[in-house]
Amino acid sequence: MNNAFIYEQLDEAIEAMMANAGASGAAQEASIAELMMVASDLRQLPRPDFKARLKTELKWVAAARPLTPARKAQPANGADVLPSLFGNVYGSYPMRHSNFAASLLLHAAAMVIVLGSTFWWARQQPAQKRAIVDVMPITISESEIVGAIRPHGGGGGGDRDRLNAPNGDLPLPAARQITPPVVVVANDHPHLPVEPTIVAPNLHVPQPEHMGDPLSRLVTPSNGSGVSAGLGSGNGSGVGSGGGPGFGPGSGGGYGGSVFSVGNGVTAPRVIYDPDPEYSPEARAARYQGTVKLWAVIGPDGRTRELRVQQSVGMGLDEKALEAVRKWRFEPATMNGHPVAVQIEVEVGFHLY
Amino acid sequence: MSAFANVADERLLIEAAQQDPSRFAELYENNFHRVYAFIARRVGDRAEAEDITAEVFHQALSNIRRFEWRGVPFAAWLLRIAANTVADRWQKAAKSREVNFDVLEEPGIDDEVERRAMLFQLVERLPQDQRLVILRRFVEQKSIREIALEMGRSEGAVKQLQFRALENLRSKVPRSGGEADLPR
Repeated sequence: MNNAFIYEQLDEAIEAMMANAGASGAAQEASIAELMMVASDLRQLPRPDFKARLKTELKWVAAARPLTPARKAQPANGADVLPSLFGNVYGSYPMRHSNFAASLLLHAAAMVIVLGSTFWWARQQPAQKRAIVDVMPITISESEIVGAIRPHGGGGGGDRDRLNAPNGDLPLPAARQITPPVVVVANDHPHLPVEPTIVAPNLHVPQPEHMGDPLSRLVTPSNGSGVSAGLGSGNGSGVGSGGGPGFGPGSGGGYGGSVFSVGNGVTAPRVIYDPDPEYSPEARAARYQGTVKLWAVIGPDGRTRELRVQQSVGMGLDEKALEAVRKWRFEPATMNGHPVAVQIEVEVGFHLY
Repeated sequence: MSAFANVADERLLIEAAQQDPSRFAELYENNFHRVYAFIARRVGDRAEAEDITAEVFHQALSNIRRFEWRGVPFAAWLLRIAANTVADRWQKAAKSREVNFDVLEEPGIDDEVERRAMLFQLVERLPQDQRLVILRRFVEQKSIREIALEMGRSEGAVKQLQFRALENLRSKVPRSGGEADLPR
């Protein structure tokens, strides 16, 4: 058979197959038929670039996958130590060294800017001496004043009001009482005005702003349910439930209510929680220093019941000292093993270093 | 190379790819035509066959670390993935049209798949001009006239190249039902 004829016959059969998928030549020579079987299979031949393209795709995906720990644990060369730097297999995409270098430079520049601006700012600031609040160790001492106080008496009064006396500051203490304290004033224009006082040792307390019973929780103005005069539920001319011109239960004047002084079988309270006071802004600005002396009554529960400034230094430091000591907690003083209220003196020192 | 050496090599390749996924390329080269032939035989459409083949190898790469060597050829694992992928496609297609599920069969390295895989692989090894004619004729479905114009040859010369290429392939590929020599 002529070769050209065979070529032609084969091509015609292929053309027919391509035109009509699945059709095969009805009358083909055996040799042509075998070639047509091959040709038929070749219709599903993949595109020439498909295999290479898929291989590239898989390489990219594989490059994004980290090595297993076993591989990482091998003795490391440079590429294993920094796989992202050397473009080994790490991260989402194959590493470009130029990108890494640019990132490194940007980070270095950012670091220089941050450090440089920090140093520059530090140099621009005027030399500031750090203000430190130094709270002197508190001195819970047997005050001379406290030593003069005896829990022998108190006072109280009232004008038979339905309400008890409201909360407020004690009147100024004095050796003699001319005018008993009142909250509800019956005579607004007395012929001879005299400052109301109670009979008690002078603790150099400041002028009271709102007169009342410091132990009361009421706010409604009242002179109290007691009789005679004064404030409270007692029958004297003082403040409280007692029967004298002083303060608290008991009679005869002074500070009643079983507030003891340290000594004579009464132990000193021990501070167990003493947050430091803050330095007031104005005192800090003026570099003002000083020691505030406070007078306090520490109750059987270890809390500060009464708190007064005994020695003021001003500049807002008194308030800061009061604010702090009010939060302090004590292991209460005891007498015969039982906790009792005691009067103490506290020193709070403010110093700048 | 003995069969034992082939198995041992394949196991080493798999372990290497499990530790370093970039070594997966060698497993891909060894199995591409087999997987493609398996899928092409089932779906009958080149574009879909290529699409599924890509999906199969991506899945294989993702799960290569889960592969446990049990003495079964790696190709069997790949063909299992391929069979599942084809089945998934057909199940999705079945929602919109009827599909004959009878053609879904258990995957296996049968002779027909091996014969086609070998045929596709041999095309890559044909002489350049014969390969070009085969690709233009059967992949791009160009006419002899178009191919002749592209190659700057006569139509007769192109027909002769086509004949020789097919003859070349036929002589190397076992006939259907014959013993297949697995390509490597």
